[in-house]
Amino acid sequence: MPIQLTSQAYCKMLLHAAKYPCCAVNGLLVAEKSKERKKDSHGDMVLCVDCVPLFHGTLALAPMLEVALTLIDTWCKENKYVIAGYYQANERTKDSRPNQVAEKVAARICENFHDAAIVMVDSSRLTISCFEPIVLIYDHHENKWKSREVTSETFEDWSEAQKITSALLEGRSYENLIDFDNHLDDLRNDWTNPVINKSVLDLC
Amino acid sequence: MASVSELYDVGWEEMRDKLRKWREDNCRNSEQIVDVGEELISDHASKLGDDIWIIYEQVMIAALDCSRDDLALTCLQELRKQFPDSHRVKRLSGMRLEALERYDEANKHYDSILQDDPTNTAARKRKISILKAQGKSAEAIRELNEYLEQFVGDQEAWHELSELYINEHDYGKSAFCLEELMMSNPHNHLYCEQYAEVKYTQGGLENLDLSRKYFAQALRLNNRNMRALFGLYMSASHIAASPKVSAKVKKDNMKYAAWAGTQINRAYKLAGRGTKENKCSMKAVEEMLESMQITMS
Repeated sequence: MPIQLTSQAYCKMLLHAAKYPCCAVNGLLVAEKSKERKKDSHGDMVLCVDCVPLFHGTLALAPMLEVALTLIDTWCKENKYVIAGYYQANERTKDSRPNQVAEKVAARICENFHDAAIVMVDSSRLTISCFEPIVLIYDHHENKWKSREVTSETFEDWSEAQKITSALLEGRSYENLIDFDNHLDDLRNDWTNPVINKSVLDLC
Repeated sequence: MASVSELYDVGWEEMRDKLRKWREDNCRNSEQIVDVGEELISDHASKLGDDIWIIYEQVMIAALDCSRDDLALTCLQELRKQFPDSHRVKRLSGMRLEALERYDEANKHYDSILQDDPTNTAARKRKISILKAQGKSAEAIRELNEYLEQFVGDQEAWHELSELYINEHDYGKSAFCLEELMMSNPHNHLYCEQYAEVKYTQGGLENLDLSRKYFAQALRLNNRNMRALFGLYMSASHIAASPKVSAKVKKDNMKYAAWAGTQINRAYKLAGRGTKENKCSMKAVEEMLESMQITMS
């Protein structure tokens, strides 16, 4: 089941990458938990409604990642979400392939959600106008992560996603984006990003 | 577009002081530095005195980060005029070439500095940064190791090396670098906590035990370090859940984990006072702690 992105999920990923241009960043994608899992539901899209930005800088250390995964999993259960994917933007703009960290986290997510995907953000193509989607999506096939073509179908509404992301980038909303690292620095920082979510809603 | 002084209602002295604070703290908030610095330079240059040269340097580097080559060149040209034979300015020229990805030319700049002055650490570090930018991590690590053999006290370099090793998943060598940093900075809780994280990631019961000790040490040095608190909770919980430990070790670690769990809950309650949104985080934490208790016993 390939994943699809809402405007909120897409723009928060890009805001995270824009907030820390000198660092690698990563995060989780969440989807609504569907009540019925039909046997022949292959081919149906999994809609990732939101994302939770996790870390910036050093991504390859285990303890805080474990804390974040457990905490966000609990939060998901409360809100009838499920962790459905993982996103990452590498430190070097020229490198947009998933690395060992991405594969390890995604494998962990796959334990709970069979069709988890890796979304890599290609920061070399990040622009304020957002004229094209800059994500690469990888699905797990036969023990390998294979990239899939990204079209406007990958988005719930590409022109809306484009409009909202562009507006928020221009308005420097990324300065207020909170990731899990920020939360650990000060617990009052809310990694669900209610302020940014509201901005997204206002622009819809 | 409103100027910084209008938007934030600050005078030029406050802008100058803010830039100084960012310099001292080594912040890389380049967009802000460019906003404040550009205005300061264009409107108040005459009032800055000799400070202006270090501000030119700071703004130039920030401008490179923001792809503002126009601003970077302006600052660089002022510095070249004032300090025509300076190695420090030559290094800035090299950095501009790096920003334009003209790495070969940048390397020539740094090599010529090093020919003149083989002890110039800044030029050597820039050469290593170029290797890092080009994705040549193995070479960067090798050069940095050689550098550190000569300049054993360079803490920034030890920290950079520890990060390079983490990215290569060589946790043992990263830990070694952090050990050097902890030895020369025994009161720095961040190094302790990072060391503990690396040991935890390295895995194995012995490393987990070490990581628990260093998370605890980090907390002793700074009892508000949330990462250390969470880390103590996680490491103690994992040790207690391991089938290979003695009953006493299991009991001790369950005690440590329980203590850490209480502290975590307390910290969230304190943070959540008055805000409705944080109650969700708090609940999630409580449930997480509960679920881990179940796996432990």
